[in-house]
Amino acid sequence: MSLLDVEAVPRRTMTLFLLADVSGSMRGSKIGAVNDAIRNVLPIVNDINDSNADAEIKIAAMTFSSGCNWVYNEPKIAADFDWPDQTAGGVTDLGEACVELANKLSKSHGFMTSGSGSFAPVLILLSDGGPTDDFNGGLDKLKQNNWYKAAIKVAIAIGDDADLEVLAKFTGNIESVIQVHDVESLKKVIRCVVVTSSQVGSKSSSTTAGGAEPATKQDETNKAIAQQLQGADNVQIGTEAANVSMDDNW
Amino acid sequence: MSELKIGATVHLTNGMTATVKKLLGEGGQGYVYLVSVNGKDMALKWYKSAPSSSPDKFYKNLRKNADDGAPAPMFIWPEYVTQYEQGSFGYIMKLRPEGYYEFGQFLIARQRFVNVGALLTTAIEICEAYKALHAKGLSYQDLNDGNFFINPKTGHVLICDNDNAFPNGEKSGILGKARYMAPEVVTGQRMPDAYTDKFSMSLILFLVIYMNHPFEGAKVLGHPCMTEEWERKCYGSEILFIANPQDKSNGPVKGVHNNVIARWPAFPAALRDAFVREFTAPILQSPTKRLTEQQWLDILTAVRDDLIRCPYCGKETFVSQTKCMECGKTIQVNNVLVIDKRKLALTDGNMLFIDRDDTPDMRVVHTAQNPNMLVIQNLMSNEIEVQTTQGQIRIVKTNEYLPVKLGLQLKLKIRGYQYIAKIQ
Repeated sequence: MSLLDVEAVPRRTMTLFLLADVSGSMRGSKIGAVNDAIRNVLPIVNDINDSNADAEIKIAAMTFSSGCNWVYNEPKIAADFDWPDQTAGGVTDLGEACVELANKLSKSHGFMTSGSGSFAPVLILLSDGGPTDDFNGGLDKLKQNNWYKAAIKVAIAIGDDADLEVLAKFTGNIESVIQVHDVESLKKVIRCVVVTSSQVGSKSSSTTAGGAEPATKQDETNKAIAQQLQGADNVQIGTEAANVSMDDNW
Repeated sequence: MSELKIGATVHLTNGMTATVKKLLGEGGQGYVYLVSVNGKDMALKWYKSAPSSSPDKFYKNLRKNADDGAPAPMFIWPEYVTQYEQGSFGYIMKLRPEGYYEFGQFLIARQRFVNVGALLTTAIEICEAYKALHAKGLSYQDLNDGNFFINPKTGHVLICDNDNAFPNGEKSGILGKARYMAPEVVTGQRMPDAYTDKFSMSLILFLVIYMNHPFEGAKVLGHPCMTEEWERKCYGSEILFIANPQDKSNGPVKGVHNNVIARWPAFPAALRDAFVREFTAPILQSPTKRLTEQQWLDILTAVRDDLIRCPYCGKETFVSQTKCMECGKTIQVNNVLVIDKRKLALTDGNMLFIDRDDTPDMRVVHTAQNPNMLVIQNLMSNEIEVQTTQGQIRIVKTNEYLPVKLGLQLKLKIRGYQYIAKIQ
């Protein structure tokens, strides 16, 4: 053997899931902004990945409208990920998207197959409307998934018609729902959310000194996003809406 | 948002200004800009927002560190601090020179040390740096893989992110990365201090040398999803060394932890003994009994003394392995140079490092007339005073030679420090 023979240290994989609404209401500048923002943020994710010895970042992207589709049938590193321009059309089958996400959040028959293990994934949901199918049924299935439970979850609500309550149900927390009201803000928010959640999700968790309750990665992500978007025009984090979950029997 | 625009000016506490020229990078905590200070290019770290729960204390400490100056030349230390302005603050430091790469690049094998000598230089310089920092009464607090920039050709080290260095015992309020923290910090039983720094430093040394994380073996690999809760167990309450001789349940896995499997038996036993001591009970749980930086330096110096160029194939190998690890030939060592407890093999082609820097002080070579006749060349600017077996004194000047002869005693002066060495 040679003393200098060496291979890369095993890195855990952190998969960043992008779930993008491409239903008919996204037509025009909204879908254009999403296409542009995702393409522009990929090189930044690549940079974060390149010098990160804690984890390798991979991206899995799904679009949903009438049904749902994975952009690639496996997670890919940012350098190998080409975001194809999406066109908008159809309804908003978010429930189906949740079921399909649950299917892929699996080590044995999904995307979480890394031999050196994974960190909890990041799930980013972008939507401008409300679901047209059985969202609650889909979400119930997803909620039983342990990867989903451990994931960092952020939702971006595009425009005034986005169903904030639905998005808050997905993230489990209204503080993780960010509303944007114009196209430029949308681009900025996509960049901020993808970069921040990649940074937090792909590193070993923070430990607080002195026995204080450790901050979770979800808290850390929320805090960092809030700091960066503080005072930004046409962006609102959380809502004044009551932070309660109502049962479905009303 | 406290991002600075190109052309923006920030004011330094010493009355000077820094003009932003370019964004160099963005991290979780802040931005790094190329700035001009008095016509000189420098780097500005600018915080996104106050980096601590007590920003005033953090700011004051930063100013004090800048006033006191760097503990050692390896630190890219805060030189000037900005005024508290535009909702935030920052500090000015030197730009990172060309040829240095993040340690992470080495860990993912995008950068490689050119030789084992350079690797050992890195390990030695990391110990020297923290020895100096702790000697100043400071603790680093957030020591992790992201702090180090290394030159793969020379092994020289630069240490950045020095803004968390606080007087030992005071907390910076900064969070650390669980993978690199001492277990007693991960479990919340102890605040980061000089003793927990020593643990993190040993962990970095293990990574530099063996290129696998010392606490990530089979057991840790068994968790498919590493959550915060699991991290607190794997690096805290249930921490288990990958090479623990008593409990092998977190041992290396073939095909995954190949580096440590190959390198653990290859590097000298003194290193193995030191890491087993540091990373298993009872020392693992006894912060104050951890090896000091000086003890690490003595161990690493012994490892470098063990490293030679094989006289047959010219590749690096360890004398303690008896056979060359490259070509397999048995290496005969007839004479050694003894300095206190140190032993340096006087084999053909070997470079001799007497002090801890990476400049060879002498070299061993055979003569043109007789390939079996070995001589030592003085590569230092100072002369060597040699006492022969008959008691005569002979002077060997720079680039001159003395024979490898049993019983010769050498007096060397390096940077004002005198070494007595004897050929045995």
